[in-house]
Amino acid sequence: MTAAPTPAAIEPAARRSRPYRLASWSWTLPVLLFLGFFFVIPLGANILRSLQTGQTATNGPLFYYIKLLTDAYYAGIIVETLKVATITTLLCLIVGYPVAYFMVRFAGRWNAVIVFLLIAPLLTSIIMRTFGWRVLLARRGALTTLLVDWGVIPRPINIADEPFAVYLGLVHVLAPFMILSISAVLQKVDVRLEESARVLGASALGTFFRITLPLSLDGIATGCILVFVVTNGSFLTMLLLGGGKITTLSLLIYQQFNVAQDVGFAAAMGNLLLFVGLVSLALQARFMRRGGVKS
Amino acid sequence: MTSAVPLHLHGISKSFGAVQALHPMTQTIEGSEMLALLGPSGCGKTTTLRIIAGFETPDHGSVVIGSCDVTELPPNKRDLGMVFQNYSLFPHMTVGENVAFGLKMQGITAAERTQRAREMLALVRLTQHEDRRIHQLSGGQQQRIALARALVTNPSTLLLDEPLGALDKNLRESMQFELRAIQQRLGITSILVTHDQEEALTMSNRVAVMCDGQVIQVGRPADIYERPRNRFVAEFLGTANIVAGTVTAQTAERRWDVALTGEAGGSVPVQSDATLTTGDTILLAVRPERLELGPVRAGGLRARVQDVVFRGSYFAYELRVHGQDRPFFHYSQTRKDIPADGMVGLRWQPDNAIVLEDRP
Amino acid sequence: MTVPAVPVRRRKRVRYGVIALGIYVLLFLGFIAAPIVSVVLVSFSTASFIAFPIPGFTLRWYWRIIEYRPFIDALIVSGEVAVLSTVFGALLGIPAALALARSRAMAAAIVSNFLLAPVTVPAIVLGLALLYFLSSLSFGISFTALLIAHTVAGIPYIVRTVLSVYRSIPPDLEEAAAILGASRWQTLVHTTLPLVRPGVFAGGLFAVLTSLDNLPLSFFFGSATTNTLPVVMLSYMENQFDPSIAAISTVQMVIAIVILLIADRVYGIEKLTS
Repeated sequence: MTAAPTPAAIEPAARRSRPYRLASWSWTLPVLLFLGFFFVIPLGANILRSLQTGQTATNGPLFYYIKLLTDAYYAGIIVETLKVATITTLLCLIVGYPVAYFMVRFAGRWNAVIVFLLIAPLLTSIIMRTFGWRVLLARRGALTTLLVDWGVIPRPINIADEPFAVYLGLVHVLAPFMILSISAVLQKVDVRLEESARVLGASALGTFFRITLPLSLDGIATGCILVFVVTNGSFLTMLLLGGGKITTLSLLIYQQFNVAQDVGFAAAMGNLLLFVGLVSLALQARFMRRGGVKS
Repeated sequence: MTSAVPLHLHGISKSFGAVQALHPMTQTIEGSEMLALLGPSGCGKTTTLRIIAGFETPDHGSVVIGSCDVTELPPNKRDLGMVFQNYSLFPHMTVGENVAFGLKMQGITAAERTQRAREMLALVRLTQHEDRRIHQLSGGQQQRIALARALVTNPSTLLLDEPLGALDKNLRESMQFELRAIQQRLGITSILVTHDQEEALTMSNRVAVMCDGQVIQVGRPADIYERPRNRFVAEFLGTANIVAGTVTAQTAERRWDVALTGEAGGSVPVQSDATLTTGDTILLAVRPERLELGPVRAGGLRARVQDVVFRGSYFAYELRVHGQDRPFFHYSQTRKDIPADGMVGLRWQPDNAIVLEDRP
Repeated sequence: MTVPAVPVRRRKRVRYGVIALGIYVLLFLGFIAAPIVSVVLVSFSTASFIAFPIPGFTLRWYWRIIEYRPFIDALIVSGEVAVLSTVFGALLGIPAALALARSRAMAAAIVSNFLLAPVTVPAIVLGLALLYFLSSLSFGISFTALLIAHTVAGIPYIVRTVLSVYRSIPPDLEEAAAILGASRWQTLVHTTLPLVRPGVFAGGLFAVLTSLDNLPLSFFFGSATTNTLPVVMLSYMENQFDPSIAAISTVQMVIAIVILLIADRVYGIEKLTS
């Protein structure tokens, strides 16, 4: 400290400001080291691996990515992945919004019960829930048996191995997340805003579309991104309910890992999946900042 | 009880970024005295208290308790008691555990802790609540528990941060007297931070009025009320009718004639210790209860009575003085007869007009 | 006593829209419950294949679980991984959350977001990346690797709830402890940790439940000694399709419910969900 004295140093008895605080920055060090070593480095290594291993030696570092995006089969899978995620997100929104609206506006003390019933399935494994749909939808399952008894369908059919079953399973797992995201935001929308719209002459439906829906956009965005990202990352529902008729990127990674063991290619697929997720999150952050409905 | 020790602040100052929260402040709080730091929010009173407590470090200066410089000590080594604005009682402990907490930190045995906590609970008259949970207590009870918790370790100094701010009016008034009585009985050096002038006047031996990070005036409550230095103090402590004027002549020692500015007109006698010279423009403050209503006289100050409000123990008259933007107020124990046209003359005794330091 | 005149009762306007919405919500909750309830039912079925209505009640599938070693072994591995990874996650996450919660510095926001990041990375990607990385350190398929993976995934849950609970606690309480003579360590032990305990519990509960069900992360590290329950169940289902899957699912659910009930007994459910 022999440099030219700053004004603060000339003044006598100047102290560094340090307000009383229990925790210090050093308390974050262990977790930063841990995640740095077991989260950042592995993901970074995964990127290198996708650029440097296997067939990239002869075909250039971007070989796997080019293959993924240009090969008709793999490009089809990418499109299918995005399609499944988009449809699931829209289904969850359509199915879930009325539930969220009912919870916030009409459920009263039953709200807590509904919340509990929505998060209770977290106590069960996804395998259990997926298995449950097989039990209901299989050829001799409960639903098919009922439909035959009622004469809706002439003889038992298997609807467990259809895209329909995949969407059913995904909506079942993910709709609660959508509902809780929306209801959390809807909770903060002042009911008096709706009432003043009514007083000012808006119809019930008009009030909903002009007041309630715009004010809950933040919750919708959060829920949609959540469902979209989680759908992209899941493969169990497609594996157990799709009957091989729906193949997404995650499912492909699972199968590749079990069968082919092409390390670089699996890494590239994982990175692509991660990339889609990050883009979604960036879009959400962008929307939240610009949305202005929070104010 | 340990003998009371004084507390010295030697030129402590503090800034947060570009904001000078506290200008260098030097102040001594005598042993067993209660000093109130009074001022609006943002005036630096809380910063001062937090520096004394050790939650903030002053940029300059030092805090000395007794003969010990505590500026560099952490809060737990300063031997202080503190009552927080929202009491900050520990919600996960019983009343008894809260009160005994300070003793537990000192490593005192459980038996002695219980006994001394009970003594403190007796002092605040809540002995039977020892095993209650905090949320089972009313606001006033929580306030007293907070006091008991602060006093149980026999601290050298008691810090009170808006201690009665969360109570409703009636309770606040009775607690003011109770707190003061306990403080005087224990003879503990105390610093009270408040924005409530009534609280400051009732509870403290001396009041330091603060504004914009500076102490404007320090003195005994009555002195500050009777002789505020400037407009800010006059208006922050009670109500003041303020009028501008020009010194026209010195009539006797400490006595001047002042011509009031504007159409208010007229000349009023003023008695003051201030050094004034003829031609000075000055501000005068007159307390509402010192203002006298009478018949309109030529050359005197005239006003129209706008409104009369019954305030319980007195009547408040809102007066519109010709040529003054702001209304005047007059407080009276009795209801006065007002002429049909509402016009009255205003007068005051020469020594009831306070010459303020600021110039118009 | 005079009988008060009966006031004219006005017919309440029936709100058909709300009733319809209520029925819809009931149907939706039925949809949520249906597969879970049917699995529990099937687990007691005497039929060795899926059939409705179930022909009779039996406990033989529960016996089958006990006889089939991999289920029990995997259940134990799952339990150990869930508990240990949550404990490690808490030891790493709580101090960091305490340090970050009340800072308004830009860096604190960035670090907080970083600590929450693992939850946004698809588990299958995280698992793949970790497996190859840990293999290069030559402990790829091992219990340690499994534990590390689950700890990474569990940290965000703990950090998130402790951050929000600690932010809701007034800083005055720690200042009160300090001025009453508590050192930093004493303040931490006697004031801060007891006050953030509901957050630790809620976050820990989520971390445990997520870990128990985290197939995409676990299956990369699968071996005879490191298979978690979902991994064993999946491989069992690929070969057989009998109600013992229903039985083990039900057992897993009951275990989760017991954990929840204990947590409720200790802290109260409303504190956990708030």
